[in-house]
Amino acid sequence: MGNKLNPVGGGGWLPAGLASNQEADHMSRFKMPPQIFRLVLLTIGIVVSYLIARQLLTPASFRDFGFYRGAALEEVASRTPVYAGKKACDECHSEVLLKLAKGDHKTVSCETCHGVSQEHAGNPDITPVKLTGSHCIRCHEANPSRPAWFHQITVKNHYTGQKCTECHVPHQPNEVP
Amino acid sequence: MSLEITNAIVEAIPRFEGYVYPNESGTHPLWGFLIVLYPYITGLVAGAFIMASLVRVFRVKPLEPVYRLSLLTALAFLLCATLPLLFHLGHPERSFQIMITPHLTSPMAIFGFVYAWYLMAVLFLELWFDYREDFVEWSKTESGFRGILYRAFTLGVTDVSDKALALDHKLSWIISIVGIPSAFLLHGYVGFIFGSIKANPWWGNAIMPIIFILSAMVSGIALCVFNYMVLTWVRRRTLDLRCLDVMGMFLFYALVIDATVEALDWIHRAYSAEEGFHVMEYMAKERLFYTLSIGQVLVGTLIPLLLLGILQVLRKRIPDAVRKRMYFGSAVFILIGVLAMRWNVVMGGQFFSKSLRGVMSYKLEFAGVEGWFMGLILLSLPFIILTVLIKLFLAERLPTSGHVPHRMEGI
Repeated sequence: MGNKLNPVGGGGWLPAGLASNQEADHMSRFKMPPQIFRLVLLTIGIVVSYLIARQLLTPASFRDFGFYRGAALEEVASRTPVYAGKKACDECHSEVLLKLAKGDHKTVSCETCHGVSQEHAGNPDITPVKLTGSHCIRCHEANPSRPAWFHQITVKNHYTGQKCTECHVPHQPNEVP
Repeated sequence: MSLEITNAIVEAIPRFEGYVYPNESGTHPLWGFLIVLYPYITGLVAGAFIMASLVRVFRVKPLEPVYRLSLLTALAFLLCATLPLLFHLGHPERSFQIMITPHLTSPMAIFGFVYAWYLMAVLFLELWFDYREDFVEWSKTESGFRGILYRAFTLGVTDVSDKALALDHKLSWIISIVGIPSAFLLHGYVGFIFGSIKANPWWGNAIMPIIFILSAMVSGIALCVFNYMVLTWVRRRTLDLRCLDVMGMFLFYALVIDATVEALDWIHRAYSAEEGFHVMEYMAKERLFYTLSIGQVLVGTLIPLLLLGILQVLRKRIPDAVRKRMYFGSAVFILIGVLAMRWNVVMGGQFFSKSLRGVMSYKLEFAGVEGWFMGLILLSLPFIILTVLIKLFLAERLPTSGHVPHRMEGI
């Protein structure tokens, strides 16, 4: 063992390769290669700017209640509603609602078929955009997972080329026109 | 009138067949075309990087002409990899919040870490060490915007002594070695997102990550073949046919392994015939016939296998011009086939009912966020970025340092 390790200066032991003071000095003055040094600086720069960005950009209400924006619900609630609701319809169209209340469609909202009507409720001159297309079969298309008592049709067999409303009265579905 | 037309269309296209739940019957799939593009683009990144590592780590000398092109391809596509996801989520005004609120509890959120690691620690570093000597050289000769850019990219280090360059090469090699498992993780992760959904028989599969990695390698090499051939054609240069042959060889091997593993997966599913298999069988035969049987199997696998297989056996007997066309054709077919494969995985898993007794239908629309026009824009974006990168870092008039793997003859 004595052959491999030599005493250095203050009596410490170093491996044979680093025996002389000169070599020990060389080791202590080890310089990081310049490209590595710049990369380390750049990495620190990126990490620091990320942390600063994180401080500045994280939404204020984040983590108030958990891992989400605490104010998310308020933000959604602050949007202007587009649906007016049945009560608003009742103000002017109570006679239709009275008819509706007698039939099977009493639980269906007016705006399900007539389209969003908040603007129309505020200003009757604005006509609500009526839903185009086959909104009847959204509910009445046959689907085995629907309850048996629910009126269902298979469009291919039932539809004869006319509009649904030519045979059915949406406001009083139990009646025939 | 519009009501009649709508009704006629509704009649012509049944929205579901068999037994489906009410909430499945009328709605569109939650994940659309953009989510198809996400694994596709990410796979191209991983594949292109593995292609580059063939030169750097496995020392495949004939592939040196495409080394830098493969790395730049990986970079261009990686820069766009998150876009389909962010576009799908909507809310561009707060999309950055996904970056500043990282966490480890959601597999989706972990993509942020995987992505950042791959982009910053692997791709940027490898490119920088590889290009450092050239940046120093170009920063001296170039002026104007390019000069400023190259000077900035040197990070102020102008040491190009042999010792410094040796260190660059060593580090580049280490990063490349780290890069291979990283590329596997990057795309294996994408496979894991689907493979870990155990409630869905189409997705829940332990070898999904492996299938994704293999198909990524196939598509990435095919993309490099495509880019190399288009670039040499645009520059009116002669193709390095030896390079093309070796790329074709690796493409063939990768495709053989990929096709075998995917076939094995199907054989395993067919033999074990678990409860979801009959609906999967129906999907393959009916609902996904064009994208799976035609797109993925015939166009994406069998035809390229045949073309590349012929090229392996009869390489010397086939005239150069025909050989080039066969390679180009195989690359394009594979790129289409892998896109079809991503479609089959992402959309296929949403086409059948949770009851496993019915299927829904879906029509890819032209307009809208999930439309195919948007997808086309997102798919052309990496090519636009790649063009810029090639103009900046693979310009013909810029001299490149002669050391391996920097030789760029043929480009």
